[in-house]
Amino acid sequence: MGKHPITLKAAALLVGVACFLQLQAQPITVTDVVGREVTIPQPAKRVILGEGRQLITLSLLVPDPVAITAGWTGDFAKSGGLLYEDYRKHFPALDNIPLIGTSGKETVSTEQIISLKPDLAIFGAGSHGPDAKSADIIRQLEAAGIPIVFIDFRLHPFKNTVPSMELLGKVLGRETQANAFVEFYNRRMNHIQGTLARHKDLKRPKVYMEMIRGAVPPGSPGKGNLGEYIEFVGGNNIGTILPGEVGTLNMEYVISEQPDVYIATGIATPGEEGLVIGQNVFTYQTQESLAKLATRPVVSPLSAIKENRVYAMWHLFYDSPLNIAAVEALAKWTHPELFGKLKPHGVLKEINERFLAVPLKGVYFAELKP
Amino acid sequence: MYPSTAVIEKGYRKQFIKRGTLLATLAVATVLSFLVDIAVGPSTLEFAGVLQAIFSPESVDLSTRVIVWEVRMPYAIMALLVGAALSLAGCEMQTIMNNAMASPFTLGVSAAASFGAALAIVIGFSIPGASGDWMIVVNAFLFAFGATLLLQALSSLRGTGPEGLVLFGIALVFLFNAFTGIMQYLASAEALQQFIFWSLGSLTKANWDNIPLLFGLFAVIAPFSLASAWQLTALRLGEESARSFGVAVKRLRFLSLIRISLLTAGATAFVGTIGFIGLVGPHIAKLLIGEDHRFSLPASILSGALIMSLASIISKAILSGAIVPVGIVTSLIGVPVFVALILNKRRR
Repeated sequence: MGKHPITLKAAALLVGVACFLQLQAQPITVTDVVGREVTIPQPAKRVILGEGRQLITLSLLVPDPVAITAGWTGDFAKSGGLLYEDYRKHFPALDNIPLIGTSGKETVSTEQIISLKPDLAIFGAGSHGPDAKSADIIRQLEAAGIPIVFIDFRLHPFKNTVPSMELLGKVLGRETQANAFVEFYNRRMNHIQGTLARHKDLKRPKVYMEMIRGAVPPGSPGKGNLGEYIEFVGGNNIGTILPGEVGTLNMEYVISEQPDVYIATGIATPGEEGLVIGQNVFTYQTQESLAKLATRPVVSPLSAIKENRVYAMWHLFYDSPLNIAAVEALAKWTHPELFGKLKPHGVLKEINERFLAVPLKGVYFAELKP
Repeated sequence: MYPSTAVIEKGYRKQFIKRGTLLATLAVATVLSFLVDIAVGPSTLEFAGVLQAIFSPESVDLSTRVIVWEVRMPYAIMALLVGAALSLAGCEMQTIMNNAMASPFTLGVSAAASFGAALAIVIGFSIPGASGDWMIVVNAFLFAFGATLLLQALSSLRGTGPEGLVLFGIALVFLFNAFTGIMQYLASAEALQQFIFWSLGSLTKANWDNIPLLFGLFAVIAPFSLASAWQLTALRLGEESARSFGVAVKRLRFLSLIRISLLTAGATAFVGTIGFIGLVGPHIAKLLIGEDHRFSLPASILSGALIMSLASIISKAILSGAIVPVGIVTSLIGVPVFVALILNKRRR
């Protein structure tokens, strides 16, 4: 009787190992967000990031995302601000990741990608880097036998974030982490969606959002981009009259619309012009720059300003699975009567503790103090 | 038999009155366009409210006051100033280059300004003391002006005439475009968007800080232009005849170039690249009023201001509530007018 359980355990272990080995050996087939079926022989160990900032996405799933990144575009270095510096500190090897291009898709060298011998390229369906419209790059990489999967957090964030994360979990062999994140993500999303669904006759407050970009007049989201977030949380984006994804609103129109809520987004680091917000930024720095935006004469007649419903958030949430934190913040600001208890920084804290390789610290959301 | 002096004098006076009337008409049209520009907008504010806000700002509510004083007025005034500056610069340029197709942007002035702006936006480079939004303005201005000085230095090396100037100018356009290309290549997606917005040219950059500056620049330079009117008219008859009238052609050209570059650099620094005004403005003026620069210079100022003001109205009206960058509008209006002018010239 004493021997039996050990044999059983050993057998179970053997079966487990066998299954594991078989799993390892089995090719992985996934359907990406643009509907292409892609098969790779085993979980990818050398990936190309078509948009450097998706390193943050990898770091939700992989403890050392830099180790598996064989090449990337330089956009994270340029837009990531102090968060990029923190990644460098955590992963000194980051400086050695070869560039496949600087930022725009036209700067990407296919030859460089091929010469890096990646086992997978991860591109955004619509992105600043190569995307689903980059027919030449896709054709050349496929001819070179380099599989490409398309993920998407930018074009249709509310449809594609979950499939993108599941997909990444599979191709990177990190399904447990991906499923945990998806479970976390869905739970929070369902809370917001469910609450809004129970309040069908909800008044949709008018929201005016400005994307602060240095010294030039700000842009506002139209129907796509962050405008979709505003509509998703039950707000009325006054920028929907714009013909494109982002455009310039006539301030006179904004004044005559009398928006209830004002939200600024930005990525400036301390000392730069614009909305100072993000990694390692202090509360007072964000408050100062937000106060400066809110005291411009041209916004003084807005009821959002008069009633101090003035908010700020980090701009890069829009192209990331971290969009859940932005959704919570926007929901809270737009419908405080329903979502007043939500804590966007708390969401980030949980993401830090459970998922991220490099924690987000600093100010990512702000409410202007009167 | 020759006409008597009395007949000539009578004809001259008649022409003088006719041209004066045309100038007055242009001025009235410009004023009307300005009034329409400040009268229309996406809100329901009517003209009486606008006038009330202008003449007694304290008596209207905050929204009306801000709409009139912070949105409509600065855009409308900036439109007049930029149009006037670019068109005056264009008129002088066409004369000193002896080339009807020349414009303030022909010699790389706007390409240089763009590069200066790109330097500020992409890598935050500027002279010490300039910070924030002024970095772009200062850079655009310095590079535009510097390009002209470089051009002058290059052409005086070989003592080339207007033809040499055009060729060096074209070289500068390509050079600065390449530099700007490098900046765009290095730029992050966000900085690139910022630069593209800047380069489209937009009146939304107008405010009560930069309007007095451009006005001051224009008010200082325009009298010098007008004072050179007869010399420029003489140059229009050809370099030889101008010399025979005692005009120091080289000096005239140099001073004129300085004026052109200051006007163009100023306008471009504050609103970005605005195409075609500097080309079409002077052409319309000369078609109406002829080559006598005592008339064609002020007429250019007025026609430029008028076209720009009309473009400002259109840029607000295309999509109610949104703003189409005015540089796009001026090009869309300018190109057909330009083609019509060329075809018209062929036929004659």
